Amino acid sequence: MSDAESPQTTESIEPNEQRASPDPDFEPVSVFDDDSTMDLRPGADNCYKCSVCDTTCPVAEVDDDFPGPKFQGPEQWRLKRKDEGEIDDSIMSCSNCMRCDDACPSSVPLSQMHNAARGEYVDEQMDKLSVEYVRNRVLANYRTSAWFASKVPRLANFAMNFGPARWLMEKAMGVTSEREFPAFAAQTFREWWRERGGADASRENARAARERRGEAVDAEKKVAYFHGCYSNYNTPEVAKALVRVFESFGYEIVAPEQRCSGTPMFANGMLADAERAAEVNVSSFADLVERGYDAVASCTSCSMALKQEYPELFDIDGIDEVAENTFEALEYLRIQEDLEGQIAEASVEEQAFAYHAPCHARNQGVDRQAIELFRDLDGVVVEDVGDSCSGISGTYGWKEEKYETSMKIGGDMFEHMHDAAGDVGMTECPTCAMQMEHGTGYEIKHPLQLLEEALC
Amino acid sequence: MSETPSVLVLGGGSTGCGIARDLAMRGVDVTLVEKGNLTHGTTGRMHGLLHSGGRYAVSDQASAEECIEENRVLRRIASHCVEMTGGLFVQRPEDDDEYFEEKLRGCRECGIPAEVLSAEEAREIEPYLADDIQRAIRVPDGAVDPFRLCVANAADAIDHGARVETHAEVTDVLVEEGEVVGVEVEHASGGGSADGLDSFVHGEPGETSELYADYVVNATGAWAGQIGEMAGVEVAVRPSKGVMTIMNVRQVDTVINRCRPKGDADIVVPHETTCILGTTDEEVEDPEDYPEEGWEVDLMIDTLSELVPILSEARTIRSFWGVRPLYEPPEVGSEDPTDITRDFFLLDHAERDGLPGMASIVGGKLTTYRMMAEDIADHVCETLGVDAACRTAEEPLPGSADFSVLREWMDEFGLRSPVGLRSAERLGSRVDEVLGEWDGPNPTVCECEAVTRAEINDAISQSGTELNAVRIRTRASMGNCQGAFCCHRIANELVPEYDESTAREALDDLYQERWKGERHALWGEQLSQAMLKHHLHATTMNRDGDPAATEGTVDFDAFDAGRAEGPADASTGDRREDAARGVVDGDS
Amino acid sequence: MAIREDVLVVGGGIAGATAALAAAETGAQVRLLSHKKSTLRQASGLIDVLGAVGDNGTEVEPSGLVADPFEAVERLPNSHPYRVVGAAGIRDGLRVFDEAVGDAYAGTHTDRNALVLTHGGTVKPTARYPESVAPGLASAAEKTLLVGFAGLTDFDAPVAASHLDAAGVPFEVDGATVPFPVEFRDDALTTRLAKALDTDESGARRGLTDAVADHLDGHERVGFPAMLGDDDRREVRAELEDRLGAAVFEIPTGPPSLLGLRLEDLLFDALDEAGVRLSSGNPAVGYEAADGRIESVLVDRRGREVPYAADEFVLATGGLVGKGIDSDRESVSEPVFDCHVPHPEDRYDWSEPAAFGAHEFARFGVVPDGDLRPTDGSGDADFENLRAAGGVLGGADTAREKSAAGVSIATGAYAGRRAGESVTGREAEEATR
Repeated sequence: MSDAESPQTTESIEPNEQRASPDPDFEPVSVFDDDSTMDLRPGADNCYKCSVCDTTCPVAEVDDDFPGPKFQGPEQWRLKRKDEGEIDDSIMSCSNCMRCDDACPSSVPLSQMHNAARGEYVDEQMDKLSVEYVRNRVLANYRTSAWFASKVPRLANFAMNFGPARWLMEKAMGVTSEREFPAFAAQTFREWWRERGGADASRENARAARERRGEAVDAEKKVAYFHGCYSNYNTPEVAKALVRVFESFGYEIVAPEQRCSGTPMFANGMLADAERAAEVNVSSFADLVERGYDAVASCTSCSMALKQEYPELFDIDGIDEVAENTFEALEYLRIQEDLEGQIAEASVEEQAFAYHAPCHARNQGVDRQAIELFRDLDGVVVEDVGDSCSGISGTYGWKEEKYETSMKIGGDMFEHMHDAAGDVGMTECPTCAMQMEHGTGYEIKHPLQLLEEALC
Repeated sequence: MSETPSVLVLGGGSTGCGIARDLAMRGVDVTLVEKGNLTHGTTGRMHGLLHSGGRYAVSDQASAEECIEENRVLRRIASHCVEMTGGLFVQRPEDDDEYFEEKLRGCRECGIPAEVLSAEEAREIEPYLADDIQRAIRVPDGAVDPFRLCVANAADAIDHGARVETHAEVTDVLVEEGEVVGVEVEHASGGGSADGLDSFVHGEPGETSELYADYVVNATGAWAGQIGEMAGVEVAVRPSKGVMTIMNVRQVDTVINRCRPKGDADIVVPHETTCILGTTDEEVEDPEDYPEEGWEVDLMIDTLSELVPILSEARTIRSFWGVRPLYEPPEVGSEDPTDITRDFFLLDHAERDGLPGMASIVGGKLTTYRMMAEDIADHVCETLGVDAACRTAEEPLPGSADFSVLREWMDEFGLRSPVGLRSAERLGSRVDEVLGEWDGPNPTVCECEAVTRAEINDAISQSGTELNAVRIRTRASMGNCQGAFCCHRIANELVPEYDESTAREALDDLYQERWKGERHALWGEQLSQAMLKHHLHATTMNRDGDPAATEGTVDFDAFDAGRAEGPADASTGDRREDAARGVVDGDS
Repeated sequence: MAIREDVLVVGGGIAGATAALAAAETGAQVRLLSHKKSTLRQASGLIDVLGAVGDNGTEVEPSGLVADPFEAVERLPNSHPYRVVGAAGIRDGLRVFDEAVGDAYAGTHTDRNALVLTHGGTVKPTARYPESVAPGLASAAEKTLLVGFAGLTDFDAPVAASHLDAAGVPFEVDGATVPFPVEFRDDALTTRLAKALDTDESGARRGLTDAVADHLDGHERVGFPAMLGDDDRREVRAELEDRLGAAVFEIPTGPPSLLGLRLEDLLFDALDEAGVRLSSGNPAVGYEAADGRIESVLVDRRGREVPYAADEFVLATGGLVGKGIDSDRESVSEPVFDCHVPHPEDRYDWSEPAAFGAHEFARFGVVPDGDLRPTDGSGDADFENLRAAGGVLGGADTAREKSAAGVSIATGAYAGRRAGESVTGREAEEATR
């Protein structure tokens, strides 16, 4: 597959004009041309070797081939010479859950070190013709596959999970046949949004809501939505929930041009791919941020990428402003609105959820908000299934050789989900949702969907 | 005179070990005595620069020419001790243009390859150089590990029949009938190896012995004057101290020199995993007793930050001071130690003082240690009538023979690649012998410096229970935790070869040695690190209140012995405890 | 301001957790704000109250292991945080702790310290210890076997056994090194070993007991480094005991400390149960104040500062290790509220030449008033509604005293309770008015 086949960027709807697609050149280019930006050895100054990162690593706990984040991060970088190419191949076993970032009492830039090392390894030590490389590249560029599938969703849903095809994918590509590919929605979120009237309709809805709420009709309440690939192609109901909830609080929404956040590309060391995606996303959102918009995302890995990984790894104009003004959806409402007060007055049909906080939510400090918020919602029990990692980490659990590790890591979560009262799962991360469903057979919802039910 | 002439070499630094190796290779019966362990003096306290000669290309061209010559020799014979980093003489806006040109001209006159780089080109090599630098001269400076170099010379000397005696302090020079005939040494403990397993310690602690030889070479550097005094001759060494501050990581991978005539704090040497900032030049009275002060450390950081600004915020892990054995003929009379030549001098006491049987070697620098050794070995051989040529410039040191870094260390020895790379870098061609032949699990003992159990045990087999000697061979405990996590692991490796109390004593010595230098870096991250160490050692391990180390005994019965069964009395302890108290009356 | 509580506790270590629990007991709505994982994961998991104290206060005599910590409190200098909260404060801290962890810890039956074996081969006085440590106390005269693993450099069982012998323990003790029952790479993390025992991977438990059985020679108890399982640790230990026919105990280790990790889990479960709200992942970087009162703490959310408002605040950000106290070449500071931290001017006076000396830096921290409120240089409280607890408090060398966890729970409980009471007390007042 080459970029020549990749989808045209979703046509611009509003408010910024269509931009030229980035360079379609396929050859992976080194992002390490400029050594100075990637010399992370000074980051090792903060490490005092306490090993707390190691105690939170879900991979090292089940896979002794992975020596843990302390070794992979500050130790390896400190031992490194600038021009000495060799990165230990165990870096490919890191699932990029980023829990080590959240753990480190000294703020060592662990995931940045891992991302940079992985990028360097893939760039300089991995055989570009290997099945592993091609498979990783395809998995990392999920959006490309999803774009095709969304054109023929029913056929795609059949074909992708067709037994013999899956057998072949495992044998030839190393994509595990244990998992079912997620279903593609008959109508993507963007198709729905356009049909609904785009930003103009949203502005009307928001004004009406402000009027109803007794706020100034022309209040500056504007958000730019980074919906990401998954809620566009697979779970548009999550994206729609966000739109309705935010509008009900009086926010005008725009859904600007965007590409994949880059999360799966970071995890596979495809930093050149990620940088191309980031360039589109940053330029798209930077304009809006400058005009007073805040960016919100419904997927915690997407918001993580915009907030942390972009500024850590790339040097793009406007990147810091975008990072500073990007929020996870619930987090945003919690800071801006009296969400608690409204929830306390609302009620929904009795239901119970087994909630799993995604690792990338943990990193942003938003891992507890769903539990805390819905504690006061009449009719609802939301139970935290603990702080274990789901184990899928995006594309990681799709790899044939990682499947077993992924399920081992997820074991604790499955067990706790079964122990919890509810038999519906809840999480903010689409791939965690995939794993939760795979391990328990539960239906999985996004907190925004419950919020929609309560408030809209 | 016996058939095989015998020579006593005083001083286990690079010069002494180099002389011992040279003479041993020429078939002379050599004994080397050193009052501490090898590198104890100046050798172990330098910044690790392998000079290209560039630093002396204006002020001292003779030294510069020797440096570039020996630089080439060491790359050949000591490849596992040398890292050819390259070096830059960097000009800042306030630095003199004329001096820059003079430096360039000087390098070329001395045969030192030198090219001028623009500021952009220099920053491409070293991105952390300051934005406002003007230009730079690139020269073949390098980094050398003085410990490894010195130990390799000693090891090769021993292989050629020499005897090396550490922890043997010279207490007198024996003069009979107007001729030096030997020395008296007092033996100290090398860390408690009473069974003679320690290859370098032969005497019993506290014992003195008289060693006789046909000739005595005083290679004690800054201590040469003291030895001279014992023999009744004046050797006017002018010891000059310099501070060196060790950074936690390598901010630069090239030696960075400031291109100006002279001054303090003008060099950064990338050394193994660290950078070493240097230095000062201040004459001291006593090479073992001089002040080590905070302002000297501050000076390194503040001044060198002008060249490499990131240094001002970077973490330092310790500082140390070394004493140069400067010497100039008394008639020169330089006031400022920076004006004293870095050249070396062979003082033949027979000719100079009418005292045959002894020569002193003073001045010089590590880069030219081999050449100095060759000179004095020639002199000794001539005096003793030995007809053998010097071979030290051709024969590689142990560890540097047929060494190729291109092998897959990781796969071969089951090590992660950076661990394998660093181990191979330290062990050179001995890597197969040390890692390949190790039986059993080979976990990493010192994680900061990637030192495995096999390497620690190899070092112990060479140096016995003195863990400082293990440290200098392996770099274990020299990383950012400064031994907080690995000192006790290293000490554990001494058992069962040595008993537990010996290991414990050795551990305490290592703790103290690490603390000595770390104290000079106690702020910011390193203070946080030190506090973590304090908690780990004092709270978690109770090393400071260890009952095994103190006179008093513990009244174990006075403490909670755990709850037996059933409800307990919350105020006095439980039944089991009470029962125990009834039976035993403690140790009192 | 959308995020608002009665009491905001800044810092998620043992002091912060205890403060939050004590504040919640008063009926206040509490939020605990933490940045990263706490330093509990570096600590042994033991609750030391006071294990050593010298006759002249700070000078600790190494032989002076304290058996009765409550009696020894009297001998501490006046600047010590224990002198603010008193013995009653210590007892209250222990009560909050005991209720939070339930039967996962032992030691509640007596005021006396227990002597626990350390992984360095010494014994150390402590007040509360995990139940898995309990069978290994040094005062119980039972023949003991210590077991280490061949690839594990941090704990060497034969060395530890000889060391204990030299320390004069009242029992016979031997050490044995066995291979870990599942073959892992030499640098496998301790969490990997614990997980293998937890899930009984490849018959790990049986493999371990088979290896140990060869070394059993009338030993009544067997000690392992603390990595015997995680979620199913009770089951792991019970199975080992059953197979070996001897009591099995764990020896606390240095970082990474699984006992510390488990304690962190226990405390956070208790916080959850008490209805304390938890926000973690972002640092507190500043505050807003008016009229001598703090109105909110500013939390840096990757560039954007978000205010967390409350009526009362507890500063529990830790000491030099937890980064609650910061330093540079010139000075020592408290970074969130810029509270006064006294320190000698010359940084060479911050430490002693001897490695285990009475280092001044070990006592760095804020200076509390009689209500644990940080004070400025002249003794006045910085803010009316800010109290401090745990490592951020100065005046105690908790490492040498073996009092770190004790100071944290005692001052945490005190600060949290006072904060909670002043909110709920005020509310009650308003209601009556």
